[in-house]
Amino acid sequence: MKYSFGPLLLSLLSCSLVLADPDYHERLNLQPLTPASLLASFNFWSKASLQSYEEQHFKYIPRSLGQILQHAKTRELHLRFSTGRWDDESWGARPWGGTKEGGTGVELWAWVEADSDAGSFARWVTLNNALSGLFCASLNFIDSTRTTRPRMTFEPASVGTNASTDNLYLLHGTLPREVVCTENLTPFLKLLPCKGKAGIASLLDGHKLFDASWQSMAIDVRSVCPADGSECSIEMEQTVDMVLDVQRSKRPRDNPIPRPVPSEGLRCDDTKPYAGSDFCYPSDISNGQSWTIAEIFGRPIQGSCLAEDSNGNPLDSVYIDVPNEREMYITSGTENKHLSGTCRSFTLPKSEPFEMVLSHLGPQTFNDHTTPPLYASRSFTGHGQERGGVQTLLTNPSLTSSISFVYFETLPWFMKLYLHTLTARLSTSSTPNPCLIKEKFYRPALDRRRGTQLELLISVPANSTVILTYDFDKAILRYTEYPPDANRGFDVAPAVIRLLSNDKKAPVYIRTTSLLLPLPTPDFSMPYNVIILTSTVMALAFGMIFNLLVRRFVGADEVEGWDVAALKAKLRGGVMVLRDKMMKKGGKGRKSINSSCGN
Amino acid sequence: MVIDRRKALLFGSATTLRLLLFFAFPSLPDLLTGRVEISTPVTSFKRLQEGLFLYTHNVSPYDGGVFHQAPLLLSLFALIPSSLFSPLTSLLYIALDLLCANALIQIAESGEAGSSRLFTSPRNELKWDGIAIGAAYLFNPFTIATCIGRPISVFTNCAILYAIAKAVSGKPMSSILALGLASYLSLYPILLLPPLILLCYDRQARDKKETPPISTFAIKYTSLFFATKVWFLYISNILTGGSWEFISSTYSVQLLLPDLTPNMGLWWYFFIEMFDSFREFFLGVFWLHLGGYVGGLCIRVRRQPLFIITTLLGIFAIFKPYPSLSDTSLYFAMLPLYRHIFPLMRYTFFAMATILYASLLGPAFYYLWIYAGSGNANFFYAITLVWSLGLSEIVADSLFAVLRDEWEVERPEMKGKDVRQI
Repeated sequence: MKYSFGPLLLSLLSCSLVLADPDYHERLNLQPLTPASLLASFNFWSKASLQSYEEQHFKYIPRSLGQILQHAKTRELHLRFSTGRWDDESWGARPWGGTKEGGTGVELWAWVEADSDAGSFARWVTLNNALSGLFCASLNFIDSTRTTRPRMTFEPASVGTNASTDNLYLLHGTLPREVVCTENLTPFLKLLPCKGKAGIASLLDGHKLFDASWQSMAIDVRSVCPADGSECSIEMEQTVDMVLDVQRSKRPRDNPIPRPVPSEGLRCDDTKPYAGSDFCYPSDISNGQSWTIAEIFGRPIQGSCLAEDSNGNPLDSVYIDVPNEREMYITSGTENKHLSGTCRSFTLPKSEPFEMVLSHLGPQTFNDHTTPPLYASRSFTGHGQERGGVQTLLTNPSLTSSISFVYFETLPWFMKLYLHTLTARLSTSSTPNPCLIKEKFYRPALDRRRGTQLELLISVPANSTVILTYDFDKAILRYTEYPPDANRGFDVAPAVIRLLSNDKKAPVYIRTTSLLLPLPTPDFSMPYNVIILTSTVMALAFGMIFNLLVRRFVGADEVEGWDVAALKAKLRGGVMVLRDKMMKKGGKGRKSINSSCGN
Repeated sequence: MVIDRRKALLFGSATTLRLLLFFAFPSLPDLLTGRVEISTPVTSFKRLQEGLFLYTHNVSPYDGGVFHQAPLLLSLFALIPSSLFSPLTSLLYIALDLLCANALIQIAESGEAGSSRLFTSPRNELKWDGIAIGAAYLFNPFTIATCIGRPISVFTNCAILYAIAKAVSGKPMSSILALGLASYLSLYPILLLPPLILLCYDRQARDKKETPPISTFAIKYTSLFFATKVWFLYISNILTGGSWEFISSTYSVQLLLPDLTPNMGLWWYFFIEMFDSFREFFLGVFWLHLGGYVGGLCIRVRRQPLFIITTLLGIFAIFKPYPSLSDTSLYFAMLPLYRHIFPLMRYTFFAMATILYASLLGPAFYYLWIYAGSGNANFFYAITLVWSLGLSEIVADSLFAVLRDEWEVERPEMKGKDVRQI
């Protein structure tokens, strides 16, 4: 179980990375995680010199995005679209050390150049609105209640810039309710030089990507000014990571609905002690399965996209982590087996389709996935729609070393956090241990203006679990503030955990899942009724008191009361008078008609 | 000093009962603190704890949406050592209840309710003595629940009762100071200023031979009141490190109702369901409605200023923005002073039945809505309507009885006969 950060970060890239330095390259890494699931990691990297970027010479960095960044004075941008949950119990550590991953929904953080807090927020709004149009996402809903300014959680990825001297402000926003779908993928692909028509990007199809067990699309833009004083450059990286269920992906398109397998088609695991002719324990059907790219992604790779180094030599674009002994076939291109023994890479043909078959022959061993440095899971406690609590379990699997990290949460304002109830304790004891939380940064929510921001510096001793809990109240909102389908609840953004290590390695991030917070709801059909009923009660009370205040008392026998007989007589008299009048009128009318007929 | 044995017995038994509830049922205080009937966003003890936590950790509690209480309370509670916080606050709240009862006994023993400067009721002999009125307050289940639930409205109630007690014992200066404290803690007692000045004036005019004209008296004590208020605000400003943001966080919350947590009043559901464009208009209407009673009552019931205060306290318990049981318990504490008018009330059974019905069904319906999910918000809303209706019935009926009592002095021959209003 011993681990260190180094192999973790490169767990995905166990194929060693040999990079020439062209301005654009792309690569697809396929890594079977378990017999049933496959991690496909697409990475597109491009670069331009800062000078040409500022002069608006765009080649590989897309003009649409570049101009937005220039307009909003954004130095560094990180945009994430994610769905699903990374299952670290069975899949191990996250690809890229979690740095290219976002919380469920949309997450965005950027360093914006401005003179003041207010100025940076104005530019942030500009940026969000522009990106919202570019990516067809509701980024324009990142308002002041969803924006935070994290203190410890994020550090600039840019090299050679200094946030404090350059007047850079970090802003962070999340949209946990946003549903990521094809309309976000299409603009994402449009930013690529080959627009998803050629190269590995031709595999990115909305039907497959959003059918994955977990997927994350990322865009990172940063500037790099090397310390040796050579030319500054702008780097942009687009990443798509997805975990595919092999069996599900292989389902034929003409028969997409899973149906029960007929008994003769069942594959039974005969090694079980209770196996028999009339029992079937289904064996892991993915085990020893063969698959092809077209089966998994629905189509083969359509040629290559700019996969050449500066000398015109073809570069490897597709990598796969399988033992060298396992048999693989490719239709065209070339295959490289790496020395590590569990990795090979392929170059793509220029313009013809590339297909790859992984046969079921050969060793079926899977790399033992690396243990993640920390397991984190967060959930609600309590019941009812009045108040609740949040409980986060943070488990350090290492047997030898403790781990410290920054725990960052943004909560919506209608979740009223009680910081005095925040406690951390070890799972083995029932009393809170104040030494576990080293540092707190808390910015309380303001109703309808600002969300809660909570950053904690926590350390977890070796081989133990820390339980972090706090209480909150659920506010009830104005009826216009509820979204459609109010009883579904409100999404609470995932917590972001940044692991701290002493040595200067790339950072490691972990995100928990988002939470669904049910709030008490009013009756939405009631506005008129409530206005009427409340006003009635108020009018009754006011009427009673006002009556007493302005009228005077008299004895009941001193005033004329309701005399029933007199009233009857009066009424009868009135009716008589009315009848007489009618009779008279009627008589006259008849007369006149008669006279007219007479003529 | 002679200690009244009955009083000592009363205070002793009330203290024992509260101590028993506090310490024999350790989960009871927190349970009651969480009840919407007892804790409102502006009085909740849990929010006070949160504010205190932030205050002692150098985060401004007023730069957040949770804490809406006055800064002086923070510095008061910050004095309590955290290791003994829970038992000492319990003792503090018990002491506050006893102080309230003590003030009530003073008011009762002054005899102001039965006979003021301008009016003496013909039924003056029919009254309860101070100890009985104190007991009615201390053993009122609403008061006990409030004490155990520890909302800060107990401080406001105590300040109001002291303002009245000082007024009836002829100390206008301390009375106005106490009211200044009450209205500093929670805005609405400012509406009690006109009747309280009348009460002070009447009391002074009765005790002394020569008195200034009422207008000079009123101007003097109104300016004293506002000076007190400004002084309190200034002290708070110093306590919060020279920032004024506590004003918007404490008072504008009561004025503008941004927090719509359910309570027993009429405001919360009305403003949940209100159309956005009319929200400000109706906030104005509701406040005008609340303030509108002051003038009318001061003119019509001029001869009994203590009764104006009692009726206003009843009206506040119904129509103020964040009402709770503690407001009702304050009204029910003042009402027994008017024992002599009870025979003239007409709908006591109906009103008490309504109050009882609402106080039993209210928690049940709230449970159905929030926890069981088998009812919706209208269940609890309907109960708050019934509750308000029952209380306003009592308020109006007691007003009727007092007015009739006054009328019978003019026309003694009408005693026991039917009356009509024209």
